[in-house]
Amino acid sequence: MQEQREAHDAILDRLNRRLRTLCQCASTVFQAESEQELLQSLCDILVAGGECRLAWIGYCEDDAEKTIRPVAQAGSGLDYVERVKTSWGAMEAGQSPAGVVARTGKACWVDDIRTDTRFSPWRAAALARGYASCIAVPLIAVGGPRGAVDLRGTLNLYSAECNAFDESATEHYTGLATSVAYAVTALRGHLAEDLAYGVTAVRARAERKRSEEALHQAREELARVTRVTTLGELAASIAHEVNQPLTAIVADANACLHWLETDHPPLDSIREALTAVVNDGNRAGEVIARIRALLSRTSVAQRPCDLDGVARDVLLMVGPELGRYGTVLQTSLATDLPTVMGDRVQLQQVLLNLLLNAAEAVRDVPPERRQVVVRSTLEQREDGPWAVVAVEDAGVGFRQEQAAKLFEAFYTTKPDGLGMGLSISRSIIDGHRGRLWATANPGHGATFHFALPAAP
Amino acid sequence: MTTPCPESKLAATRIKVGRSLAADRKAPRGPGRGVACDVSYTLAFPTASVATIVMLPTEPVGSIPRPAALIAGVQDFRAGRISQLELSALYDSAVRDTIQRLEATGSPVITDGEQAKHSFATYSIYGLDNLSPDGVPIAFADGHIRHFPRLTSGPFRYKTPADVYLAIAQRYAHVPLKQAVVSASALSLLYPQGGIRGYSREEYLDALIAEQEGEIRRCLSMGAHVVQMDFTEGRLSIKLDPSRRLLQSFIDLNNLVLERFSTEERKRIGVHTCPGADRHSTHSADVDYAELLPSLFELQATSFCVQLASEPDRKRVLRMIRDHARDGQRIFVGVIDPLDPRVETPEEVRDRILEAVDYIPPDRLGTTDDCGFAPFSDDTSRTRETAFDKIRARVAGTALASRVLGLE
Repeated sequence: MQEQREAHDAILDRLNRRLRTLCQCASTVFQAESEQELLQSLCDILVAGGECRLAWIGYCEDDAEKTIRPVAQAGSGLDYVERVKTSWGAMEAGQSPAGVVARTGKACWVDDIRTDTRFSPWRAAALARGYASCIAVPLIAVGGPRGAVDLRGTLNLYSAECNAFDESATEHYTGLATSVAYAVTALRGHLAEDLAYGVTAVRARAERKRSEEALHQAREELARVTRVTTLGELAASIAHEVNQPLTAIVADANACLHWLETDHPPLDSIREALTAVVNDGNRAGEVIARIRALLSRTSVAQRPCDLDGVARDVLLMVGPELGRYGTVLQTSLATDLPTVMGDRVQLQQVLLNLLLNAAEAVRDVPPERRQVVVRSTLEQREDGPWAVVAVEDAGVGFRQEQAAKLFEAFYTTKPDGLGMGLSISRSIIDGHRGRLWATANPGHGATFHFALPAAP
Repeated sequence: MTTPCPESKLAATRIKVGRSLAADRKAPRGPGRGVACDVSYTLAFPTASVATIVMLPTEPVGSIPRPAALIAGVQDFRAGRISQLELSALYDSAVRDTIQRLEATGSPVITDGEQAKHSFATYSIYGLDNLSPDGVPIAFADGHIRHFPRLTSGPFRYKTPADVYLAIAQRYAHVPLKQAVVSASALSLLYPQGGIRGYSREEYLDALIAEQEGEIRRCLSMGAHVVQMDFTEGRLSIKLDPSRRLLQSFIDLNNLVLERFSTEERKRIGVHTCPGADRHSTHSADVDYAELLPSLFELQATSFCVQLASEPDRKRVLRMIRDHARDGQRIFVGVIDPLDPRVETPEEVRDRILEAVDYIPPDRLGTTDDCGFAPFSDDTSRTRETAFDKIRARVAGTALASRVLGLE
């Protein structure tokens, strides 16, 4: 009775230990982050659990020898795995429990290594390392779209006791191996999925960047075309601006020629005339240089920029055009404007566009209302100083329902307008981290404002 | 700075039979350390003719076994017995000797034999302090395992990019130099499956792509004849993931790098594929080539060095290449098996090329070795002599085939 109880307790104790071991294995199956980590952890746990002296896992190779390649191992006598070449082929090396399991897909065990004739080729090496019994269970996963074998291997355990692996052990370890095979397949799937996710994200970013660059280029080209169009509107004034000094140059040069033909050329007059020729030549050159600067540039380079200088250049360019229609241009430019970070040509384009819009708005109103005022002011805001430029006119203005559409592309109130000027101006100011907006004046006309943060 | 080779010159290299290499070496170098396409060398096999022939292009894959003195020197350095300076001298000597001997084989394009690389896959990251050695295991058929390193933290940067090796090789080379770089897809395996806290996989891939772009760009601007992306994990990926999603991700990732180059630049970028070669075995030769080849040619490279000599059914592989290679892609077929200790004869090489011509027209064909002869620096399973003999056979066999094909 006592003996029966002791035997019963021993079985119970063994089952309890196995249960604990299998629980730990199950936890590893769920938590492992890589295949190698999973396999090695399992071998470590199985040996630490005390039921086996050596645990190793082998994968079947499709080489000529049909090698079972050890991929993880733990316990005592690890050189055994290296020394004993295991195969899953039909030859003698393939008759070990591991070989049989890999071929048949069914568990195989040896109760007593000392006496089991199937184990004779490996007996000496096994006994030398204290192994008395062993079991091998299949580690096989079949899946994939073509029914490919994802995994073919064996889990191999060696015990120091004979008959260590009974029917229940076979069942338990076979179940464990099934879970491991599933986990390995899942981990392999994760490897592909993780990388695919990462690559997809990187590609999406690369394509977005390409699109943004293409959009940026298109915007730049559009802005350039708009500049050309705007300058086209100034053609008559520009011609006048260039023609005036040229006419003066011709007149002064003729005067000089005339004076030089006299017996006593008036040298002071000639010097004065030639100085005027030089000045007029420079004046015409400056007009052309300003136009060329507006026409030639396409790339955006933001650098510290003096808004006052930007305004003065534009006013020089647009002043004659306003004068042609009897429009009075008034300026009130602050002397303490902060430097902003910006692209000079683009900011000139914005101001030029606002001024020409204002000029057009006052063209058909009574003469006393043909006034355009350009103001610049310094504003202190929560995030620091800002430069604000406003272009005010007393022209036709806009209705409240038009306000929301003013900055939309292709929206225009002019019969021959493209409707791109304000849209591009806003995108330019947005690109400078600034703001462009319009307000209706209390009396007549409208005021367009743009504000830019001071350069850090 | 070297002059990039025009495409027409890339297609065929001029070989002048009967002149001595030594005489050519004495000739003044052109710009860019003599890197030019129209090069003349003595073929290292007996010839009856001194006619000038235009040969099918032929080039090596990369590595040559390191001299015993270098292998011992590396061990001595690790054990603290020699200094970095002494080790560098050994590297330098090995590179010089390798280049001299490769030039002596008559190969119109050579490499530095990867003498100073730790391995073809880890040369750029070897010595980084944010790596652990327990990364993805690469199991070879003979049972040995090479563990890929594992990234432990960001940011990721190369330590020794390939252009560093190229600069050293250019000191000694008199003929065009090919420079191998490891593929981004191989290095993608550095990132652990469990992730790295504070350094996402996307951040890592961004950095990896930028590093590889920079590496390739510098090699091109330094005048590399061609930059070869080593993509040896193609068939391996099928083993790791039979669903082929991993392979597709590898292809996508490498294309993200290749797309950063212009069409002109990509004419000087190639891809090498093989099932790995280390000691006496491969890691994925058991995976059917048919699983890889259709995807391989999706890579946006211009030349492909494809392992072929060791394939059991070469004609089947050639048929697949014919069916899947895209217009404008040149295929350098492997005519030498580095794992086979026997040195191929020039006639065998010739016959392999003529076999390939049945499937790939000569204007899209070139020859190469199946793989490097020692992709891992500690691999001593082949000798330098065998490697040079095999390369000599490749060059001679390619010349023989060229003559048969009437490329004169």
